[in-house]
Amino acid sequence: MLSELEKKIIAQLQDDIAITERPYLAISKQLNISEETLLKKLKDLYKRGIIRRFGATIRHQKSGFQANAMVAWQVDEDHIDEAGKKMASFKAVTHCYRRNPTDDWPYNLYTMIHAKNEKSCWEIARKLAQNASVDTYTLLFSRKELKKTSMKYFPAEKDG
Amino acid sequence: MDDKDRAILNRIQSDFPITSRPFLAIANDLGFSENAVLERVAKLKKRGIIRRIGGNFVPEKLGFISTLCAAKVPNHKIDSFAKAVNRYPGVTHNYERDNNYNVWFTFIAPSMDEIENNLKQISIDTGVKDIINLPSTKVFKIKAHFDL
Repeated sequence: MLSELEKKIIAQLQDDIAITERPYLAISKQLNISEETLLKKLKDLYKRGIIRRFGATIRHQKSGFQANAMVAWQVDEDHIDEAGKKMASFKAVTHCYRRNPTDDWPYNLYTMIHAKNEKSCWEIARKLAQNASVDTYTLLFSRKELKKTSMKYFPAEKDG
Repeated sequence: MDDKDRAILNRIQSDFPITSRPFLAIANDLGFSENAVLERVAKLKKRGIIRRIGGNFVPEKLGFISTLCAAKVPNHKIDSFAKAVNRYPGVTHNYERDNNYNVWFTFIAPSMDEIENNLKQISIDTGVKDIINLPSTKVFKIKAHFDL
């Protein structure tokens, strides 16, 4: 369970921290707590696995990873754990999940691949296919970003 | 972007220092001055290479659930469909992709019921009937860290 203070801290940290010498001091002042308390709480949230990652989110398109493909795989349920683990071990794979198939969408394993260009994505997919012995798959390249933001948990109630 | 920028980006994507002067800690790790780190990070932010610096949370640990949804949307309806979907704050990522299922979005909400209801509403509002909801049943990897 999260305390009210923890929720407020989370609400602050899902934003952008200031690029200044003492960014936490500024946040702690807004929350009416000491910087020391904030740092302690933050480390605790990290340790409890509530914060998955704390740091800079980069626009990969602007930093040499222009192409990203979602690869949907149709894997035998008997060896999906093995396939998932194998694919997850590849550096180019940033996300790997199992999802239930639907009536007209038979895929049950998903990987996100980031690479320089589409050709590299295809090559990586081929390697994954070979390595995990899965031969039914489809690559879905993103053609347009329609929205990208981070979730705003526990938004502060507006004053007055 | 030069080698120093790359070193900074590699250093700050995960485990951003939780200490009173985080940029000084980074500077010490990399052998730069605190000012140099502050200036370069500010510039990388201004150029749009850094989207933001902050926390990324595990929705389930905050009492939320997350899922991936896909829809078959006729080309002429993509803009209006995107608008109908994007107005939900829980929709954080939305991409047009080259497939019959051509619009893919992530949805975070306090419960799956709420997401299902929202999907029904989107269907009614847009006339798009084929929307599938694909919650993950197992996570093998999440790592949004790019080695530059």
